[in-house]
Amino acid sequence: MIRILIVDDHPAMRTGLSAVLRAEPGLVPLDAATSATDLWPALRRTKPDVVVLDYHLPGDDGLVLCRRIKRELPAPAVLLYSAYADASLTIPALLAGVDGLVNKSAPANELYDAIRRLARGERVLPPISRELLDEAARTLEPDELPVLGMTLEGTSHADMAGTLNADPGELSHMIDRMIKRLKIEIPAPRGR
Amino acid sequence: MTRAADGRAASCLVMASRWITLLVMTRLLAAAVAVLLLVVHRVTAHDPLLVAVVVGYTALSLVALTRVPRLQLSPAAWVVDCLAVLALVVASEDWRSPFYVLMVTALILPSTGLAFRWALTWGAAFTLAYFGVAVYTELDANTLESTIRLETIATHLMVPLVVVLALAYAADVLERLRGERLRSERLAVESERQRIAWELHDSAKQRVHAAHLVLSALGGQVAGPQAELVEHALSELRAAGADMDTSVAELRTPLEGRSVERLLDERAAELAPASEAEISVRGAVGELPAHIAAHAYRIGAEALTNAVRHAGADTIVVILARNGSSATIEVSDDGRGMPTVRRPGSNGLRSMRARAETIGATLTIGPGSEGCGTRVQLTVPTGPERRSSTP
Repeated sequence: MIRILIVDDHPAMRTGLSAVLRAEPGLVPLDAATSATDLWPALRRTKPDVVVLDYHLPGDDGLVLCRRIKRELPAPAVLLYSAYADASLTIPALLAGVDGLVNKSAPANELYDAIRRLARGERVLPPISRELLDEAARTLEPDELPVLGMTLEGTSHADMAGTLNADPGELSHMIDRMIKRLKIEIPAPRGR
Repeated sequence: MTRAADGRAASCLVMASRWITLLVMTRLLAAAVAVLLLVVHRVTAHDPLLVAVVVGYTALSLVALTRVPRLQLSPAAWVVDCLAVLALVVASEDWRSPFYVLMVTALILPSTGLAFRWALTWGAAFTLAYFGVAVYTELDANTLESTIRLETIATHLMVPLVVVLALAYAADVLERLRGERLRSERLAVESERQRIAWELHDSAKQRVHAAHLVLSALGGQVAGPQAELVEHALSELRAAGADMDTSVAELRTPLEGRSVERLLDERAAELAPASEAEISVRGAVGELPAHIAAHAYRIGAEALTNAVRHAGADTIVVILARNGSSATIEVSDDGRGMPTVRRPGSNGLRSMRARAETIGATLTIGPGSEGCGTRVQLTVPTGPERRSSTP
């Protein structure tokens, strides 16, 4: 049985997703949060195995929330489930600690499959092309590149801080900065 | 010419038509005054001829300027007009000519048609030319010694300058006001577009995603004809999502009636600096109904972007063609070809297929002509060429 917490700001998506997950044997949606504010109480109360997280949320976006979710102990697996989830989001998602990336237009069985693999401890991410890496390398500062390299190899943050001889707090700030620079901007209307 | 440039030229003509009214009214009045003066006072030995010339020139100039709007903004026409009225003053053999007012009317179009500074320059040059005519006709030491005559020549020289200054100032202010109004209208339209795009993307599209997801969960549980129905509904939902994507893209960066070939050419130019491949865009599909053109362009642009980003090609060729009842857009490259497994999370191909479905087009994606690279071919049924699109 895989226990799932949903985070999405749109009511149609929350109810639809809950219904679809409930219909699938072995998957149990526990609760659905609308934003960061009601995410934390739900997360601590339900202690899910997998969090299905929308990317575009009011206030902090999915990547920022994922960074914070991953600091929880024990940390659940995070599936970024978004209309924007394409290959260009992979590198910032990896840096944020996302375990899986599924587009909202994907059919339900793709979603079930991804959740099951995440619950087994696997990652479901698009392969990172050379072009994407080149682009990321151009965007980042030279001293950030080792962090990117180690993230791609799957090195833990503690090992990374040890190897780079860096303070874990500083490393964490650096990763936040890298994500901010790499993530795709979604145009919002003025005054919003 | 782009639509914006068309608009600018049209608005210039609208402005010019206001000033042409002023020209017609003042020139008719000035011609009447001149004729009256020639009839009442004996001015020269050839007054009847001058009357005929004034009536003839007034009629000719006004008909030409009102019938051929192009002339209203043509500096050559202004020069001819100014020289003609100065010639009339010379013919009247006196700078205090009965044609003086007629002469001043020649300044209306240049002062309102030129930018402020150039209008003043034109006015000064004209005044200087008039001073030359004055010297040529009668101005002499005698004039300069007599207070009254000196004052008259000063007034005569001042009038063209004052007229040009006043008209150029008025035209400049009107032009600025119009620019301001256009700008604020454009901003209002822009923010409305952004709002609609946001609502489409943030709300309607989320519902479509939810419906697609729920229905796709049902897909595995039904069989036979019902499964076909579910698949049909799913494909409609995917097409609706693609429609919304296109509308959102169109609202954010409108195509503004530009042709598909031109847009793809622009997209290729945008991508060229980031690409090692040589990109060429050839041929044309001609006019397509707006929503078909929008989808066709987005499909072509996506194929082109994929070729640049993922193919590692040396050359990328986009060929557009229109034959009979269909238009084709073909994007081919000599790169590494399509990956055998779909990149998870990549949604570009899915949205291209959904877009093609929306406009009833056929999308073929496969290896290139000699088995290497990738060829994306879109065939859009168009009906007979230049069919007027029903809104």
